[in-house]
Amino acid sequence: MLIQLLANGVVNGCMYALMALGFALIYNTTKIFHVAHGAVYTAGAYLCYVFLIQLHWPLSAALVLAVLLAALLGALIEWFVYAPLFRRDASLLVALLSSLGLYVALVNLIALLFGNETKVLRPGIEKTYHAFGVILTRIQVAQVVAAAITLPLLVLLLKATLWGKIIRAVRDNPTLAQVLGVNLGAVRLAVFAGGSALAGLAACLAALDVGMDPQVGMPALLIAAVALIVGGVGTFEGPVIGSFLLGLLQSLVVWRISARWMDAITFAILIVFLLFRPEGLAGRRRRLEETTA
Amino acid sequence: MNYLWHILVMINIYAILSSSLNLVAGYTGLLSMCHAAFYGIGAYTTTLLMMQLGFGFVPAMLLAVPFTALLSLVIAVPSLRLRGDYFVLATLGFQIIVFGVLYNWVALTRGPYGIPGIPVPSVAGFEVNTVFRYFVFSGLLAAACLAIVWLLVHSPFGRLLRAVRDDEIAAAALGKNAPRVKTTAFASGAAFAAIPGALFAGYMRYIDPTSFTLMEAIFILSIVVIGGAGSFLGPIVGSAFMVLLPEVLRFLHMPDAVAANMRQIIYGLLLIVLMRMRPQGFLGEYGFK
Repeated sequence: MLIQLLANGVVNGCMYALMALGFALIYNTTKIFHVAHGAVYTAGAYLCYVFLIQLHWPLSAALVLAVLLAALLGALIEWFVYAPLFRRDASLLVALLSSLGLYVALVNLIALLFGNETKVLRPGIEKTYHAFGVILTRIQVAQVVAAAITLPLLVLLLKATLWGKIIRAVRDNPTLAQVLGVNLGAVRLAVFAGGSALAGLAACLAALDVGMDPQVGMPALLIAAVALIVGGVGTFEGPVIGSFLLGLLQSLVVWRISARWMDAITFAILIVFLLFRPEGLAGRRRRLEETTA
Repeated sequence: MNYLWHILVMINIYAILSSSLNLVAGYTGLLSMCHAAFYGIGAYTTTLLMMQLGFGFVPAMLLAVPFTALLSLVIAVPSLRLRGDYFVLATLGFQIIVFGVLYNWVALTRGPYGIPGIPVPSVAGFEVNTVFRYFVFSGLLAAACLAIVWLLVHSPFGRLLRAVRDDEIAAAALGKNAPRVKTTAFASGAAFAAIPGALFAGYMRYIDPTSFTLMEAIFILSIVVIGGAGSFLGPIVGSAFMVLLPEVLRFLHMPDAVAANMRQIIYGLLLIVLMRMRPQGFLGEYGFK
């Protein structure tokens, strides 16, 4: 029983990590608290629904196109909403409020088009795999495989390549990066596209498992934000660590307390971290002169 | 005619609610995402005092006010040490925790089943039992609350709030205790939010946790931001606008199901456009600098 719950915790952690790394890519680099990332997630799931169910495309094509279109949506959001604010040097709170408006507008547009009820992508019972006393469905295995390929690859990309170095330079000091010839607008567009692609991927994989309704984006976004803070803002391995921690912890909550208290406990942990270790697990305290935002 | 009074009751309720948030978000510059929690705590406290302990509406409401203020300190004291996004996230966390408690503490709140059969408010033997009477009753309460808010923001204390908002370090350098000012503002905002909570419970005569969600908190914040943060009239105009918007859509013969989403799409887009063109809202003076 416990092993099964821990296994479920790891699977959930994989899904949280995809979303959290996407959110971290955007938040660390632009410092925008991108609430509309939740709407991109919802859009990703519904795009998958359109291609897979309404147009009867094969799963792989539906998945690829949904992820690409989610990336495009993220880039469009940056182009039309955040970039103008950035050029005008608007405060980050203004960006946050725009993001809230964008979330509300996009989610309700989706609800208007597809209705409020839950939609399922794969009816029926999934094939299951048994190993070491753990039962996983085929979708869950696919979720773990997708995360096991994507996450290390991305963290490596961010740590060891020139692109990664540019993104980290913009994260640490955008003005200085610009002085050194970095095209700030292009980097911002790239992180929005990349982060949104991750949200789209996470959304499709989750939708294949449990279906979707227009409100799925908000909880996914909130868990990503908590995972980032718990793991360490400013880092890229932090949100991944935080996600697995949250996934396992939620399994323990289900085991010892009740699934109903999961959200409340998740956010209680957030508040404890904000108070006692705001730099997160993987982060380090920065001196005042190191912070630019 | 009842239709008109109903709309005016809702405007009264939201005018108090958003003006109370304006003290926090507009005048003090603290983007709080947990105002629906205080609204809900006010509604539930009033209801439970009336139904479990046999209090009258007015005494129950008057006890809910300090109780909500006290609970607000639980989140205010720790989270006001945080800045910017972190403060927003801490209040958002508090909002979700309060919703979780309202939803899951079934023994006290009946959880998702809600509390039906809330008694009609009666004031000094006078039953507020028609929509028109409720309009007058809520109007009088709104007038009283807004008068207090007006006095508050035009007092030296109100000036202090704006000083801390605009330049906390300068205010501190002049010997003002900025953390205490912020805490007071936050607790006063929460205290005032209990009154519309009580009014809502007495008017609907049924409450359940779904009226006090994160989306409601975002909605209240949008009223303040769209109407104009940091101006006295802004939230009142914002409330009228947001309450009337779905009614206007209904007159355009839009089906109710479509109108509900349409209203949210319009207010979402409005928020984006205002942040781009006029971050201080319709009437505001503070643009979240």
